[in-house]
Amino acid sequence: MTSPSATAPDTRPLGSAAAGTPSGTRRGTEFEGTVTVLARQAVADDVVSLELAASSGEPLPVWQPGAHIDVVLPTGATRQYSLCGPVGDTAHWRVAVLREPDGRGGSQWIHDHVEEGGELRVRGPRNNFPLRPATRYLFVGGGIGITPLLPMIAEADAAMAEWSLLYGGRTGSSMAFLPELEGHGERVTVRPQDKHGLLDLAGFLGDPDPSTLVYCCGPAGLIDAVEAHCADWPTGALNIERFAAAAVRQPADDTAEQPIEVELRASGTTVTVPPGLSVLKAVEQAGVPVLSSCEEGICGSCETSVLEGEVDHRDSLLTEDERAANDTMLICVSRARGGRLVLDL
Amino acid sequence: MTLTQHVRNGWYLGAWSDEIGRTLKQRWITDIPVCFYRLPDQTVTAVEDRCPHRKYPLSLGHLDDEGTLQCDYHGYRFNGQGVCVGVAEQADRPKAALRRFPLVERDGAIWIWPGDPELADESLLPDTSWLTDPSWTHVHGVVPLKARHMLLLENLLDLTHETFLHPTSIGNAAVAATPIDVTVDGDRVGFSRRMIGIEAPPFYEKSCGLTSPVDRWQDGDFYPPGIFVLNIRVAATGTEEPDGFHMKVLYGMTPGRGNETHDFYALGRDYLIDDQELTKFQHEQQLAVMQEDVDALEAQEIMYATDPGGTAESSIKSDLAALRGRRAVAKMLAREQRAQQDARIPHSRASV
Repeated sequence: MTSPSATAPDTRPLGSAAAGTPSGTRRGTEFEGTVTVLARQAVADDVVSLELAASSGEPLPVWQPGAHIDVVLPTGATRQYSLCGPVGDTAHWRVAVLREPDGRGGSQWIHDHVEEGGELRVRGPRNNFPLRPATRYLFVGGGIGITPLLPMIAEADAAMAEWSLLYGGRTGSSMAFLPELEGHGERVTVRPQDKHGLLDLAGFLGDPDPSTLVYCCGPAGLIDAVEAHCADWPTGALNIERFAAAAVRQPADDTAEQPIEVELRASGTTVTVPPGLSVLKAVEQAGVPVLSSCEEGICGSCETSVLEGEVDHRDSLLTEDERAANDTMLICVSRARGGRLVLDL
Repeated sequence: MTLTQHVRNGWYLGAWSDEIGRTLKQRWITDIPVCFYRLPDQTVTAVEDRCPHRKYPLSLGHLDDEGTLQCDYHGYRFNGQGVCVGVAEQADRPKAALRRFPLVERDGAIWIWPGDPELADESLLPDTSWLTDPSWTHVHGVVPLKARHMLLLENLLDLTHETFLHPTSIGNAAVAATPIDVTVDGDRVGFSRRMIGIEAPPFYEKSCGLTSPVDRWQDGDFYPPGIFVLNIRVAATGTEEPDGFHMKVLYGMTPGRGNETHDFYALGRDYLIDDQELTKFQHEQQLAVMQEDVDALEAQEIMYATDPGGTAESSIKSDLAALRGRRAVAKMLAREQRAQQDARIPHSRASV
């Protein structure tokens, strides 16, 4: 729960595997190396923004709104932070980090140790939350979830699309980037909870509209509420990025908290699936094409033969007998019990 | 995924008893032409409707008083066991026999097993005693459908479509708004939906003399590959379930030729059983509702048949029963294809 944008990027629904391959994930466009912290600035209570440049002085890779980078901590752990500066700027990257005292320590380390002039190891960018073309956008941001939305707003603005933003947070002083959002006037509605209570999602989202895409990033409760409000919207209209895994079906043990190894035997490759990332997404990111549709464990499109390993089934479709047979799984939601699976992919 | 191949190792409704007599009736079942008729002792027989001589349809031939079936092309004659007993042109008997299908005639329905006769198991048939129970009354028939069997199956296993396709008769917002429970028992798929304190849909308002609010229960059971039974209970809200109005709908979803399906139906009720007006009203309504389904499924069939593929379907939680039904049929088909590959069993025929 350390990262502001995406410990568990979960963008849905993306339709076919091909359409779902996020832009910017190709290895060739990734940067892996050391960046220098050019500036560190407090932008809200417990939120610092960091301006980064390649220590070598070379330009950084281009990225698209919704992209994040991995920050590799000295402990070896990685944390994901959405890029939130200008998209076209290949000299600088900007990220914002919320100090999360109840997290696993990554954000605290950054808050306590990263100073101007210091260096960080980073990887990326990758994009699991791409902005698709539309004539109208509704953006819903909760707290630090505003970060991926900032470049999206800039892009929507540049494309002359109609857009509006509903931005919630605990208090006004906890909400980052308010000054730069002010310039957008009535398109931006800022609603700190201590003054306004819960966000009026029904009023903001309104009725389903086929020309509108909804983009939401924030804490799980907010995303769940937006999902509920968008239940009758067209497939694909709602696009979300969660800080942590969706509570699809709680596993019997704590396997959800462990990364799993998945060998794709037919492709001759093995992927590591971190907690919160689905096997499906990990397989797609490894460049292995796979069909999928609902990404909720319902439709069965992503059903995959299991060659070895014990499946932790979390779908709704398979029967108890089919689950017990352990020879097939829906990789969009199900995971592994023993930490390892071999799939016929 | 919509199956266009047909499971044959399973029971299908082949005909209603009152459709079959001493005349020959052809009906294609799972891409097999079948000729139905009755022998002098009234037992019903179904044989492959191709004369072994030059494949002429036997249903274009004649049945004599002794139950001998004659092909009207070159005069091959077959006895009640399907064995060739002679031909006009020569004295000795040609070696030929017809493929006969396992049948069960029960409660006014004739069930046919188009696959391996060794596997035909009567216990797989649903309880149809209500079709002849004197405390029930029913109407029945068959509607032609130019759409694949799987589309009808999914139509019946996902009744949320009632809200949108049948808003003036049996559907209202409560159907789509009420989630279902799905159960699987072996190959069988069941769902149940309890709508409590809802507005009475027009059909039930009129059928049961009820005014809103009502409780409405739907329990559907799919007996793969081709039988669906819906149990309906409607009662004034607060009435104990056994005191409500009970109705049942049986659907025989029988694949015909290509992507055509015989949509057999029987609609029964356990109240006002002598009310002919009500029976007439219910039958008209049933056919009107089925026509709405037929129109929709035939439009859908064209879309599936012309879909170039490559785009996924979208599915939602209410599809679960239908998706399980699909899987059940797909598994039966896979099982059957494996068995055929393993054994290459020739079609079982009557001994010559």
